[in-house]
Amino acid sequence: MTLTEGIINHTYRVTRTKEPLETERRLEALGLIRGTRITIINKKRKGAVIVNMRGSRFALGYAIAKGISIAPLAEQEVEEHA
Amino acid sequence: MPELKLGFIGNPNCGKTTLFNAYTGAKLKVANWPGVTVEKKEGNFTYHKHEFALVDLPGIYSLTSYTMEEKVSREYIMSDDVDVIVDVADASALERNLYLTLQLIELGKPVILALNMMDIVEERGMEIDLHRLPEMLGIPVIPVSARKKTGLEVLMHAALHHKDKTTLDPLIHEHTNQSNHIHNHHEEYAMVYSDEIEDKIDLVIERLKESYSKLNNYRWHAIKLLEQDETVKEQLAKAELSDIISRSYEEQIINEKYDFIEEIIEECLVNKKKQAAFTDRIDTVLTHRYFGVPIFLVIMALVFFLTFTVGDWLKGYFEAGIELVEQGLKALLMQIHAGELLTSLIVDGIVAGVGGILTFLPNIFILFLALAFLEDSGYMSRVAYVMDSIMGRVGLSGRAFIPMLLGFGCTVPAIMASRALENKKDRYKTILITPFMSCSARLPIYVIFSSMFFEKHAMLVAYSLYIIGIAVALFTAVVLHWTEKKKEANMLLIELPEYKTPNARSIAIYVWTKVKDYITKAGTTIFIASIIVWALLNFGPHGLVSDMSDSFASIAGRVLVPVFTPIGLGYWQIIVALISGIAAKEIVVSSTSVLFGISNINSAEGMSSMVAALGAMGFGSVNAYAFMVFCLLYVPCAASLATIRKETESTRFMLGAMLFQLLVAWVAAFLVFQVGGMIF
Repeated sequence: MTLTEGIINHTYRVTRTKEPLETERRLEALGLIRGTRITIINKKRKGAVIVNMRGSRFALGYAIAKGISIAPLAEQEVEEHA
Repeated sequence: MPELKLGFIGNPNCGKTTLFNAYTGAKLKVANWPGVTVEKKEGNFTYHKHEFALVDLPGIYSLTSYTMEEKVSREYIMSDDVDVIVDVADASALERNLYLTLQLIELGKPVILALNMMDIVEERGMEIDLHRLPEMLGIPVIPVSARKKTGLEVLMHAALHHKDKTTLDPLIHEHTNQSNHIHNHHEEYAMVYSDEIEDKIDLVIERLKESYSKLNNYRWHAIKLLEQDETVKEQLAKAELSDIISRSYEEQIINEKYDFIEEIIEECLVNKKKQAAFTDRIDTVLTHRYFGVPIFLVIMALVFFLTFTVGDWLKGYFEAGIELVEQGLKALLMQIHAGELLTSLIVDGIVAGVGGILTFLPNIFILFLALAFLEDSGYMSRVAYVMDSIMGRVGLSGRAFIPMLLGFGCTVPAIMASRALENKKDRYKTILITPFMSCSARLPIYVIFSSMFFEKHAMLVAYSLYIIGIAVALFTAVVLHWTEKKKEANMLLIELPEYKTPNARSIAIYVWTKVKDYITKAGTTIFIASIIVWALLNFGPHGLVSDMSDSFASIAGRVLVPVFTPIGLGYWQIIVALISGIAAKEIVVSSTSVLFGISNINSAEGMSSMVAALGAMGFGSVNAYAFMVFCLLYVPCAASLATIRKETESTRFMLGAMLFQLLVAWVAAFLVFQVGGMIF
C-alpha cells in the first residue's frame, strides 16, 4: 500500500519510493529511504500527510505520499517500537 | 582583517541565525519555521583578542541542493572562503541533522559540531552521550544553547584550536562486522562504507591521481563521482572511469550513511523514545481534517481584529502628541517670524504628511506583534499543510502560502521568502500574486477611508478588502493554472517544527525592526514625498500659486481624469495621491492630508473636514470603496517592485507585473463603482 492509505497513529516501514528524480533526492536527504520507519500523524482525504520519521515531523503533499510504498512492521518490530 | 572565517551551516530551523545573533549582536529575523533565512549574512565577533568573521547561511538538509537559497549555502561552504565549518545541529532532532554532518566531514575541512537546543533535549528527559559522539565522528562536539547563550565561548575556543585541522580527531569504532578491505579506513574516516564502495573509492582515487596530480581531497571527489554528481563529473572529465563506475551508487551511499547514523543514535542517544507529545496534541486540533482551515481563518480574523481595535485604542495618545508638536511648531514659527511659505511647508507639508502617518504606528505595531507570534510559535508550517488542498486547486503547493501570509506584513520580505519554493514556475507565480495580499502600508488607507465613509461598519469594510486581496491572488493563480499546458503535480514537502512558547527576545527583535522601519520610512520617504507633493501643489508654471487648481499637481492629475472617471476616481487630487503612493503606499494617506490641507487626518476632526471636502466634490461611499479596492490591487510600492526585479532578475517580468496589477485594479474598481452605483 502507499503512504496515503496508511492509518493515523500507525507505524510502517518504507518498502519503495517512486518519485521524480529531484523529489527522490530530497526525500533521501531527509532520510526517507527504503527501510525507514515512518509514523502517520495526520492526513486529509486525497490530501497531504503528516508523518514522523527519524524524530522529525514532515508534511508531504498527496503527490509525494502516493509514490511512497509502505508495509506494516513485522511483529517483533512492533514490540520493539512499543 | 578577521583572522578566521566561520561558516554557520545546518538544517533549516536549527537555530543558526539565533546563534549568529547571539555572537554578533545582530538583529536578524528568527522564527520557528524552516526557510526564514534566505540570504548569506556576515558579522564579526572578538574572542580573546582574536577577530572572527561569522557567516550565517540559509539552512540545507544536504549538500545536494535544489532550491535557490540552498545553492547559496552549498556554494559558499565549498568555497575556499571558509576556514572552519560550524555545523549547527538541532540536538533534539539529532538523527536527521547528522546526515549533513557526515557530508560536511567528508569535505575534509575543519568541522565543529555545535549541538544547539540542548535545553530542549534536557527538558524532554533525553540525554546525549557527549563523550561517545566525538569518538564516533572524529570532530569536536560542543553543546550550546543559542537562546540561553550557553556554550558560546567554548564553541569559539574549539574553532580557534581546530582551524588548521584537516584530519579527524582519534576515532574509536566498534563495528561488529569486520571488514576485509585492504586498508583499514576506520582509523582515518568517520564514515566508512561497505567493502564494495570502499574498493571502488580506492580505484577511482588511483585513476584520479593519474590525471589530476594536485587535487585536494581525492576521497571526497571519488565519492561524488560514484554518486554521479554532475558538477564534479564535469570538473573531472579528464579521468576515464567508465570501467569502474557503471552506475550511480548514490542510493547505496545514502543508505550506508543512514546505517551509520542509526549506529550513532543507538550508542549516543539515551531515552530517545521521549517524544514531544505536546506538539502532537496541539496538531490534532490545528491540523484537523475539517477544522484546520476554519481555525486558520479565525486566527487571521483575530489578528486583524486586534490590529484595528487595540491599535485604535492606542491611537488617541499618539494624536494628542502630534497635536502638541504641531501647536508648538506653529508657536515657534510665529515667534521667529517665519515667512508664510516656510510655515506652510512645515505645517501643511511635513507635519500633515509625516505626523499623519505616525499616528498609525500602534496599528502597525499590533499587526507585526501578532504576525511575530504566529511565526515564532511553529504555526507557519502548519498553515502550509492546512492550506495545501486549497492551494493545490490553484496549482500551487501549500508552501507558497507562507510568502502570501507574510505579505500581510510587508511585501518585500514576502517576495524574498518565495526563494524556498522548489519549482521556478511556482516561484514566479507566487511573486506575481503576493503583492495582492494586503500589506501593512495599506492599512492606514483602509482605516481612514472606511472610518470616514462607513462609520459603524468600518471594520467589516476593512476585512472585506483583505478577503478581496486573497480572492484576487487565488483567482490569478487559478487562471494561470488553467492556461498552463504542462501541469506539474504539487509537491508539498515541509518540516513541521515543534511548537514552542514564542521567545520574547525574538519577538522583540522582529517587532522593533518593523517599527523602526516604519518610523524611518516616515522620516525619509514620506518626509521627502510630503515636501514634493506640497511643492507640486503650491507651485505652477507661473511660480507660486494661490489657487491649487493652477498647480503642477493639478495639471498632471487632470490629464489622467478621463481614465479614472469610469472607476469613480476622476478627481485630480485622488489621482495625485495614487501616483505618489507608488513611492510607498502610506504616502497615499500622507498626500491626501497635504492635498486637502488637513493637519491630523487620523482624528475625528480631521476626518470630518476631509469627508466634507470630498463630499463637496461628489466623492461618496461608493467612490471610497472603489478607491480602497484600487489601492489594494494597483502597483505595489517602489521597494516591492525593486524586489520583484531582483528576485526574478527580469525587468520585463517586473514591468509586466506592474501593468497586470494596474489592469486588475482598474477592472476591480470599475466593477465596484459601476455595480455599487446601481445599488446605492
